[in-house]
Amino acid sequence: MVTNKLTMTLRYVLLSIGLVIMLFPLVWMFLVSFMKAGSGLTLTELFSSPLTFSNFVDLFSHGNMGRYLFNSFFVAFVVTIGNVFFCFLVAYALVRYRSPFNKLLFISVIAVLMIPAHILIVPLYVLMLKIHIYDSYWALILPWLVSPIGIFLVKQYIESVPEAMEEAARVDGAGELRIILTIVMPICKPVLAVLAIQIFFTNWNSFLFPFILTSSEQLRTLPVALAHFQGQQAIDWQHLMAGSTIAVLPILIIFFILQKQIVSGITAGAVKQ
Amino acid sequence: MKHARYSILLPALPWILTFGLFWLFPLLFSLIAGFTDYSLLARNGFHWVGWDNYRELLQDEYFHSAVKNTLIFVFGTVPITTVLALFLALLVNKQFKGRGLFRAGYFLPSITSMVVIALIFTNLYQRGGYIALLASMLGFTPPEYGFLYNSNTALYGIMAMDIWMSVGYYMLIMLAGLKSIPDELYEAADIEGASPVKQLFSITLPLLRPVMLFIIVINSIKSFQVFVEIFVMTKGKFDTASMVYFIYDVGLTTAFRFGYASAAAYVLFIIIMIFSIMQFLLLRKRQPVW
Repeated sequence: MVTNKLTMTLRYVLLSIGLVIMLFPLVWMFLVSFMKAGSGLTLTELFSSPLTFSNFVDLFSHGNMGRYLFNSFFVAFVVTIGNVFFCFLVAYALVRYRSPFNKLLFISVIAVLMIPAHILIVPLYVLMLKIHIYDSYWALILPWLVSPIGIFLVKQYIESVPEAMEEAARVDGAGELRIILTIVMPICKPVLAVLAIQIFFTNWNSFLFPFILTSSEQLRTLPVALAHFQGQQAIDWQHLMAGSTIAVLPILIIFFILQKQIVSGITAGAVKQ
Repeated sequence: MKHARYSILLPALPWILTFGLFWLFPLLFSLIAGFTDYSLLARNGFHWVGWDNYRELLQDEYFHSAVKNTLIFVFGTVPITTVLALFLALLVNKQFKGRGLFRAGYFLPSITSMVVIALIFTNLYQRGGYIALLASMLGFTPPEYGFLYNSNTALYGIMAMDIWMSVGYYMLIMLAGLKSIPDELYEAADIEGASPVKQLFSITLPLLRPVMLFIIVINSIKSFQVFVEIFVMTKGKFDTASMVYFIYDVGLTTAFRFGYASAAAYVLFIIIMIFSIMQFLLLRKRQPVW
């Protein structure tokens, strides 16, 4: 049993060193965001400086942080709702309807899953200009309202849902839309929750597309605003990190509340392979 | 099962529109634009130029270095991330006190915004920053103006950050793979007296192959598209520009050369496709090498 104890100790030591490496940058960000001056370049400065909320207050009162925060929430929220509703609808139709288009539609979903989205920045930019929604909320929301990964996840789930209840409701004379919304959708809650979290996180953190598809300051989401801050000479690390903390905090809170759903969402695609 | 010939088209409409407008159209647009001199600034329309854009790419030093940097990035980060993720997953797989904390802690960076991570590391990598401090403690001389202002270290610094950020995410996927291996196999091996190392190489790793393949493929596809961290940390300077950075730079800044950028995008698209198919065939067919 001596070797057992030794391996356990070794495991703890290795994991603890790893944990410090993983968390230090985030702890640094958090502490610097509360500092009056300096950027915590020594550990003593980092852990013993007097703390202040003024960096956060400045961002809202002198900067446009309220607007950025609203934009991030608004875009991520609308896209999430859209995905929950539309992905469910499309997935349901793919599983329960039999038509010659099913196969073609499913192939289009799989194909898009494999397209590397970043290669499309130029044509999307041109498209948004041509249909006159460049630099508007539409440009941030419309392309992402239905995601192939969402259709795929929900489709897999609905395939395991027995059809008996729907048939019974149909016999009772319930309309198609009512069956979908009041019987099937509630059964799919677990997978829809997983999907919602994933989509919210992705859009909350998204940078490249919001960055290239908008130009006005009023439409910046948090990541875009932070990247623009960095280019300004006037901004210091305390304010930059206060902004970063604001961008990270909602994700952190959701993570600690819904850890289980988040983990199952990440592993859902892999285990079925 | 509803038997309906066209009624599927109504509920599927949101996807049909999204697919057509935001995926199929851009793909076809790029394919065609790649053979023209189309640009935002061209006053008198655009012209068909045949393979000129692709020929120019072959000669363009900027593009060469973007390809080189992207390949270094992918081949440097993907294997290290995979091995590290496997190692961490094995360490936190068995039940022990504090396991949840370690799992959550390792995973946390991967759900944080890449812009935020890149900003934090811009500070950590600067002259006199924590990573320079750590390097001198370990006996290395950090670059004079910080890691990101040096062509020999900037790209590797970004790569290290990328590994740091994503390893916890792939660790979680590995853990799901480990969980799917039946316990009986290990029990049987214990009875036969197989050592833990033997068990690792003859049970765990072979059965983990599908999950590892999945991880390698999705991480490669993601890494080939690296952009955000490079944009935030170096703006492509100091030999860090990636292929997507190149596409952004020639297509959506100063010159707005849509045609030329589209050609570059297709080169990247084809590289990624070839790569995904290759990885798939290679890792699927071959007998376990471990």
